[in-house]
Amino acid sequence: MANDPLQQIYDVIVVGSGATGGWAAKRLSEAGLKVALLEAGRTVTPREFTEHMPVFQLKYRGRDPEIAKTRPIQQQCYACMEYNYEWFVNDLENPYSTPTDRPFTWQRLRVLGGRSLVWGRHSYRLSDVDFKAASRDGFDVDWPISYADLAPYYDIVERYVGISGAAEKNPMLPDGQFLPPMKMSCGEVRLRDSMQKKFGRTLTMGRVAILTQPHNGRAPCHYCGPCERGCFTFSYFSSPFTTVKDAVKTGNCTLITDAIVSHVDMDTASNKASGVTFVTRATKETKQVRGKAVVLCAQALESTRILLNSSTREYPKGLGNSSGMLGHHLMDHVVGGGASGTFEDLQGKPSASPPHRPTGIYAVRFRNTPATGKYPHFIRGYGYQGSSMPSFDFGAPGIGATYKRAVKQGTYDVSLGAFGESLARFDNFCEIDPYLKDAWGIPALRISMAHGANEKAMMQDAAVSAAEMLEAAGAKNIRITTGTEMPGMAIHEVGTARMGTDPKKSVLNPFSQSHDVSNVVVADGSCFVSSACQNPTLTMMALAVRACDHLAERFRRNEV
Amino acid sequence: MEGFDRVVPHQEGQSRSSTSLLNRRELIRAALFASVATVLGPTFSVAQAVSSGLTAAARGEDGSAVLSDPNWKPAFLNEHQNATLIMVSDVIIPATETPGAKAALVNRYLDLLLSVQPAGFQQRFSGALAFIDDESQKEFKSDFVQLTPENQVWLLNQWAFARENSRWTERDDRHGEPGDPGQRNFQLLKTLIATGYYESEMGQKELGWDGEMTHGPYLGCEHATGTHT
Ligand SMILES: Cc1cc2nc3c(=O)[nH]c(=O)nc-3n(C[C@H](O)[C@H](O)[C@H](O)COP(=O)(O)OP(=O)(O)OC[C@H]3O[C@@H](n4cnc5c(N)ncnc54)[C@H](O)[C@@H]3O)c2cc1C
Ligand code: SF4
Repeated sequence: MANDPLQQIYDVIVVGSGATGGWAAKRLSEAGLKVALLEAGRTVTPREFTEHMPVFQLKYRGRDPEIAKTRPIQQQCYACMEYNYEWFVNDLENPYSTPTDRPFTWQRLRVLGGRSLVWGRHSYRLSDVDFKAASRDGFDVDWPISYADLAPYYDIVERYVGISGAAEKNPMLPDGQFLPPMKMSCGEVRLRDSMQKKFGRTLTMGRVAILTQPHNGRAPCHYCGPCERGCFTFSYFSSPFTTVKDAVKTGNCTLITDAIVSHVDMDTASNKASGVTFVTRATKETKQVRGKAVVLCAQALESTRILLNSSTREYPKGLGNSSGMLGHHLMDHVVGGGASGTFEDLQGKPSASPPHRPTGIYAVRFRNTPATGKYPHFIRGYGYQGSSMPSFDFGAPGIGATYKRAVKQGTYDVSLGAFGESLARFDNFCEIDPYLKDAWGIPALRISMAHGANEKAMMQDAAVSAAEMLEAAGAKNIRITTGTEMPGMAIHEVGTARMGTDPKKSVLNPFSQSHDVSNVVVADGSCFVSSACQNPTLTMMALAVRACDHLAERFRRNEV
Repeated sequence: MEGFDRVVPHQEGQSRSSTSLLNRRELIRAALFASVATVLGPTFSVAQAVSSGLTAAARGEDGSAVLSDPNWKPAFLNEHQNATLIMVSDVIIPATETPGAKAALVNRYLDLLLSVQPAGFQQRFSGALAFIDDESQKEFKSDFVQLTPENQVWLLNQWAFARENSRWTERDDRHGEPGDPGQRNFQLLKTLIATGYYESEMGQKELGWDGEMTHGPYLGCEHATGTHT
């Protein structure tokens, strides 16, 4: 076939079409490069979105036994539900192993757009307190880049994606290019004012990739609520209907779905990648596609799995792993600490009808900051996501008409839940399990991660601090949760192919390019040196744009 | 609760605005426009005969039809259990100005749900219904379904309020697993019945659901600065 997409030699092969892969495809194809975008899953269309479907139209109203059967791990994710569970991987087909005493929950989507279809959309910049954390507290190493290197790319991503939020002038959470923020409830205003006055801490409206005004041809949010079921006005950012669409529109990008990449192919003579091998999802045939450069955006653990599965005689421990660092320093945010209560004196009637604000509030990190100084019990810090809204009191006592009234009367709830930095440790890692393969015969991962004493102390402090702040704001019935949830629970996994200037201590250079194989780039969260405590995807996307602009520049200079 | 998640319909937000940013017709137009605008162009799929991979919901199927089927038969409950459940549910959530649990077919939804639960959970449920009959026999010498409405309320009311164990306990009793078998069995039934009711169409209407997908943006606190400090 003359125009068989598999017979061409592309400039760049991008693997994965999620939050980062969409950006890679967009930037590279807009730079005039011929791109093949390989996606393991099927394509997705707005027809299958279910955000407006009422719960009673679900046969099991959210409790379809099929979910537990085929997705025993994925069902731990709040966003995996009877409406959309087919977007999440089938755990039986996509196994991985963990040591019994070090469980890890790996929540992922294999469909065009990946996890950008269901993500929580919280989008925060990191600051130099994060990039240069090691210089302050002596733990591990700094990032090889600083905030100034990334700021222009944060701007590019934010301007395109559309982030609603408020500027706060808090150096821990740099301001960006914001659309107007969503609105706070009375309870949130009270908490914000009290936190500022009594603790000098910043509570801001969640900065989210949801439009509050028309933006780049997309309509603003109409506040229906359940974004993780899709959005037929594309008001929140997901890659298929933005970056991927733009890439395909250039005419330079060929989107190849249902193509599960198993490994990178190497040309030993030139020490360069020559393309990738993939297995077709339906027929399980092995095929190849050739390119002058390979950009992995399959998400942190998957990209590393591909590299580990690409070992050659020259790279016996995994492609580009001469440092021995590939797979190591796996991180996820630590969650589990927080508090909740009620504001008994606030009025507000809950309703099952919209508007449902599709996000919450965010409390900026206040431990171990330049302003607050060193905190004695742990290093680094945490931020909180939360909300305060009237909600139905299904747990009200009694029966009959009294109970029905009490349910509707509701309570005015308030809660804060922490996301803390997870320290980068060599012994939190993934490797290939020699005995385990997925349904396509591709060797699967063994993931070994545990949170340590620092994370535990952080969650303890986060619980007590949240309770204190709620109490100071006048909340009653305060309860706390402490302890650390299983790693993976924050769904913010990063690391496993860290960037650095020293090829002996890092896998990637500061432009996310392999130290060992110059035409392999890993443009997702694998390159993270530390996790910081901010939700990571905005930073991943900014890093992807920076890495791909750099690659395009190398093409222009004929260096690839 | 094993085999069963804690169930409350997920709702947040206040309905305080009356002006719609987009009305329903505009939204539908936006959707048509959107789906045209997002045709992805020359996509190349290497899968030939892959199953659609869509959930029933994504295929647009209304799964509630099974409950209103005129030939409905229980899949898990026996006749007596079904009759008891209908009565218990209608005492806990009776018709008031709005319909109650019986009209909302709560028994049918719970029967469907129970039919796919693990055996341990099914036994707990059956045990809870049997417990109600046992207590009814002890006090009134007849099964729950035979009691007068007044006695039905009398019987259930004894378990309907949480008892305090300690003023200092961290746990909210109402959600906990109180040690008393009456409270435990009653609470199990009540939680399931409330779930079956409030997630039904009638229950959603009871909670203010009006079928509209938008009523404009969330307006938030509109009080003067400092009102809440
Ligand atoms: C419920 C939920 C809530 C979240 N909330 C937030 C939040 O509020 N803020 C935030 O910052 N982050 C959030 N995240 C995390 C966020 O979704 C991820 O950080 C982000 O999507 C990662 O982007 P990515 O491109 O690396 O991977 P993904 O977006 O996961 O995309 C990876 C893509 O690669 C494809 N792929 C994988 N393996 C292969 C292969 N071998 N061959 C070909 N293709 C492959 C997958 O099919 C997928 O399409 C959330 C995640 C979830 C699930
Ligand atoms: S709440 Fe807003 S962003 Fe979310 S699905 Fe509805 S319209 Fe889209």
